[in-house]
Amino acid sequence: MSSASEAKHPAQEFNQITETVADVIERPKPPKAWYVAFGIALAMLGLLAVSVYHLLTTGVGVWGNNNAIAWAWPITNFVFWVGIGHAGTLISAILFLMRQSWRTSINRSAEAMTIFAVMCAGLFPILHTGRPWMAYWMIPHPNEMLMWPQFRSPLMWDVFAVTTYATVSMLFWYLGMVPDLATVRDRAKSKVRQIVYGILALGWNGSARQWHRYERGYLLLAALATPLVLSVHSVVSFDFAVSKIPGWHTTIFPPYFVAGAIFSGFAMVLTLMVPARWLFGLKDIIKESHIDVMCKITLATGLMVGFSYGAEIFIAWYSGNLFEQYAFLNRAVGPMAWGFWIMVTCNVLLPNLFWFKKFRTNPFLIVGVCLFVNVGMWFERFVIIMTSLSRPWIPAAWADFTPTFWDAATLIGSFGLFFTLFLLFIRFAPMVAMAEYKATLPAAHAGHQKG
Amino acid sequence: MSSGTRQLHPDENIKLGKLGPHVFRIALTTGVLFLILTLVMGLLAGDDMTRFFFSYLVGFSFFLTLALGALFFSTIQHLVRATWSVVVRRLTEAMMGTLPLMFGLSLVIIIPMLLGHTGLYAWSDLAYAEDNYFVSQKLGYLNVPFFALRIIIYFAVWIAIAHYFLTRSVQQDQTGDTSIAARMRAVSAPAVIAFAITTNWAAYDIWMSLEPEWFSSIFGVYIFAGAMVALFAALILVCMGLQKRGRLTRTITTEHYHDLGKFLFAFVFFWGYIAFSQYMLIWYANIPEETIWYQMRIEGPWMYVTLALLFLHFAFPFTCLLSRHTKRRRSTLAFFCAWLLVMHWIDLYWIILPTYDDGTIPFHLMDITATLGIGGLFVAVAAHLLGRVDLVPTKDPGLGESLEFENY
Amino acid sequence: MTTENQSDIPETGPGGEGPLHGVLAEYETPGELIEAAKAVRDAGYTKWDCHSPFPVHGLDPAMGIRPTVLPLLVFAAGIAGLGGSILLVWWMNAHNWPWIVAGMPAFSLPANIPILFESTILLAGITAFFGVWALNRLPKLWNPLFKSDRFLKATDNGFFISIEAADPQFERDKAETLLKDAGATAVEAIHLDPDPTRWQIPRPILAFIVITAILGLVPFAFIAKARVTHGDQPRIHVFPDMDFQVKADTQQRLVIDDSPVFRDGQVTRPPVEGTVPRGQLRQDDHFYRGLEGDEWATTFPAQLDIDTSTMDRGHEQYNVYCAPCHGEDGLGGGPIHERALEIQSPEWLMPTSIHDQNVTRQPHGQLYNTISHGIRTMPGYRAQIDEEDRWAIVLYLRALQRSQKALPDDVPPEERAQIR
Repeated sequence: MSSASEAKHPAQEFNQITETVADVIERPKPPKAWYVAFGIALAMLGLLAVSVYHLLTTGVGVWGNNNAIAWAWPITNFVFWVGIGHAGTLISAILFLMRQSWRTSINRSAEAMTIFAVMCAGLFPILHTGRPWMAYWMIPHPNEMLMWPQFRSPLMWDVFAVTTYATVSMLFWYLGMVPDLATVRDRAKSKVRQIVYGILALGWNGSARQWHRYERGYLLLAALATPLVLSVHSVVSFDFAVSKIPGWHTTIFPPYFVAGAIFSGFAMVLTLMVPARWLFGLKDIIKESHIDVMCKITLATGLMVGFSYGAEIFIAWYSGNLFEQYAFLNRAVGPMAWGFWIMVTCNVLLPNLFWFKKFRTNPFLIVGVCLFVNVGMWFERFVIIMTSLSRPWIPAAWADFTPTFWDAATLIGSFGLFFTLFLLFIRFAPMVAMAEYKATLPAAHAGHQKG
Repeated sequence: MSSGTRQLHPDENIKLGKLGPHVFRIALTTGVLFLILTLVMGLLAGDDMTRFFFSYLVGFSFFLTLALGALFFSTIQHLVRATWSVVVRRLTEAMMGTLPLMFGLSLVIIIPMLLGHTGLYAWSDLAYAEDNYFVSQKLGYLNVPFFALRIIIYFAVWIAIAHYFLTRSVQQDQTGDTSIAARMRAVSAPAVIAFAITTNWAAYDIWMSLEPEWFSSIFGVYIFAGAMVALFAALILVCMGLQKRGRLTRTITTEHYHDLGKFLFAFVFFWGYIAFSQYMLIWYANIPEETIWYQMRIEGPWMYVTLALLFLHFAFPFTCLLSRHTKRRRSTLAFFCAWLLVMHWIDLYWIILPTYDDGTIPFHLMDITATLGIGGLFVAVAAHLLGRVDLVPTKDPGLGESLEFENY
Repeated sequence: MTTENQSDIPETGPGGEGPLHGVLAEYETPGELIEAAKAVRDAGYTKWDCHSPFPVHGLDPAMGIRPTVLPLLVFAAGIAGLGGSILLVWWMNAHNWPWIVAGMPAFSLPANIPILFESTILLAGITAFFGVWALNRLPKLWNPLFKSDRFLKATDNGFFISIEAADPQFERDKAETLLKDAGATAVEAIHLDPDPTRWQIPRPILAFIVITAILGLVPFAFIAKARVTHGDQPRIHVFPDMDFQVKADTQQRLVIDDSPVFRDGQVTRPPVEGTVPRGQLRQDDHFYRGLEGDEWATTFPAQLDIDTSTMDRGHEQYNVYCAPCHGEDGLGGGPIHERALEIQSPEWLMPTSIHDQNVTRQPHGQLYNTISHGIRTMPGYRAQIDEEDRWAIVLYLRALQRSQKALPDDVPPEERAQIR
């Protein structure tokens, strides 16, 4: 108020953020592009419903899985989606602990993306069991057969890791959203909105005593989520690496998978947020510098992934183990070499375009590179899973894999699920953490007024 | 966010002053005396110096990992534009300035190998290597001339990076030119990449190839994790030592210790994560040429060292460092830093010595004296470097924010 | 709760305004809020609070808020998660049903670490989340402050202090002056609704919650019932073609029209008349079938070397294939038998003791034949154990039987002295 003549009044600044963010969910109609996207997403979701129905009524035989390559396509999709789900908690938790204030503009939507991606991921192993209604056997419960889960099995670890991750991510997301839901509640004009957002906001009134516990709780959840992020993809990598299969068994898998997951997750965040900030007029909140940093992180993690490829190939040669050496030779020049080279191009070569400023500022180029990264990361899992399983130790057991129509339809359908949920989230929940964003403004600091 | 306008306190003592030559003299004398003592003991051992080289490698590894940790820390701060760390950066820059010394010390290992000494690396003994199927497969990589060449390349890269960042940082002190900071930031990205590649392969070469049949692709990351634990522990202790002698008393605050403590904690966890991943994957798959490395360490007396690492390098410091009070109180923080430095030494001992003897723990006085000797030279060089410059980068554009830094 | 709500209700009811809840003051900036909070704290109030759209740093010490116990709760929950899951994996995989997989010990910590870690995080995370709400006494959807239009700004850009009338030293005028002197831009009194029933949760909502909670128990009731009763109806087959698949075992005839395999419905072909597959011309009756002429063989076949290594082989194979039922001592009390007793299996019969006279009297060949083809409920083991090993087991059986009826003469002379 002392310097009202030059700078904006702090109250106006805070209000500006509320207005910009709340506008996305309060405007009577979303932009046309939202409807188009939602229509496409719904159609894809319909395809998923049909595929799942066909699968359940007919059996897993509708997929291309065969005896040598039993994991095949569904597990590729599982690892792909879990990987996508990593950037959300990384941005929220690790960057929060690192005090990277730029994360406040995108953490909410990245967390939502995490939750939806983990849902898509969970779909595949559950469907892969063939009889998903039996999946509850994975949960330890007393039963007539006196059977208990086998806790030494990596697949059991997956169940624990992914459910824990989904639960904690969801709690973290919701905890962060409560003060913002209260903002929406207090601005709501219609009765329905008042009741719905009123219940969701749990009666939050911005009390300092509540903020105190809230902040501590948020910090604790962030501190818990950080090792959790590392553990989830490490556990997924254990699925492969604890086995003796050539090309799977290598000790660098845990950190390598984590880096790859963050890489693909950031690429997906960029793919979603670059169009969203343009579509909903959030350019003042999700700034170019934020996009720039995310591009750089994508580049950095891409380089880590490339580095891991190198270490893995070197150790395969260095091991002196004929089968290991063959596994990697087969990847590079075997019948599925095209997959390997797509992976190398998309994951190692193309992200290097982010060295150039032009590629970090032009939205079309950013989304273009990120789409390639998403494709590349899908192929990474495809290559790891298919090449190793199709060429096991005994040549008599060699086999090749061809995806069926239903394989493709389920994958496309999972994207439908993901985008449907994400578009609904954009429309009905505050997609930027308003309270946190306000707290990072200079005006939020007491010293600002006295200074 | 802070506006970063705070200045260094005018009365702040940012010069090492007389302390520099003092520490230099003591450290140099200690270093030379202990190295001579080690050499004499090595000659008296009568095993063609083999035991000497193992002791020497432990000491060398300890300070090499410390210098590499400092190299990584100093460069990554530019890359991520960290400002909180500016007040301690000069200290890590001095630590990485010892890399030319470490190169000189590495010659003690390389030159005897070139002259035909085969005691340290089993693969350098051709008769053994050609007799062993797995090792014979690797002779194209594991041979003495190529090994020596690689070590020289690694050091060339490290010294180049260290030299660049040290001289530019000091130059900025004198000229106050902020464009230097921008240039360091630009160079830091390729520097970190070069660091990652060289350190990873150096870990494969120097430590992993001690057991030439064995291989583990995560090993470079394991060494890196240990190096970072050691670096943060050493850095905190150096800060406290300087403050005790009246330097930087108003510059480095509890907030900085808290943050350094957080990083120490984070890397203790990271070390545990990497160590577990490596162990579990090898244990679970149970493939002989891999399990041999752990078999040597979990059968017989080495099992106690392995368990000590699990509980004392990981579980105990991890649990205690969880609390913010441990990190903010200087006495407890200093205790855990000293503790973790000892554990890092034991970690390296556990990596290196089973190759010499896996049936007993072949402790020898030389293990201690070699470390103290190399440490003396390391401290002498670092003190010498610090004595000629300010203890903080006085003209760094991030200094103001670093001084104002607060955890919340 | 909101503007529209308010307009329906008159500000003052028939009996005038409701009881006073407290006073609310607004401040313009976080800095002013902190200064005002210090003033209120120093005035000695206890029941008061600040409200802001985001956490204001520096407000906690200004208000004198003590650190929350939440970190301790979360730490305790983490320890409970760790301890609980150690107990879980130990009890299930190593105690209640010890089950060796891939040569790993029943309780193998490295392979259990992921489970322990995830359980620790899960419990700690859930505690952190619910702990925040429990300590904050939320959800509580209704708050007297929500009646104030001004207070809507508390989640947008307004900074407030509220002092409750319940505070022991509350006096309306004094409190208002204090807040105003601290720089408030506006001060207003907050009254409760005159009708006390409006302070409570509306009855229909309460009824809805109770009914839903009761209905939520119904599935559990059915599960509980199913666990203690027996039904005479067969189970429901949701997808019969998955439960009853059209398939045939080896040598079976598939009774469907147009067998996709062979016209006669057989799924495999018999060997061509008069041919013998390689290695299956087993002419030596003694070795392959345990027969000498038409009688059970009473001697061991010539192919078998009667020596210690064969005996050791027999011992090993016996412990692998026979001991699970017959027990290592051959008395019939192996681990499977023990397990059957433990679960009180009604169908289980105790395995035969090999020291039974019926068995000891049998010739070598008959024992060999029993191992090969099984007897009563015992299955044949010819697929798992090759001929030589079967004979080695017979040899070991003889030694085992003799061990139970040993005479002093069986002991080597030089060790006989040790028997008392």
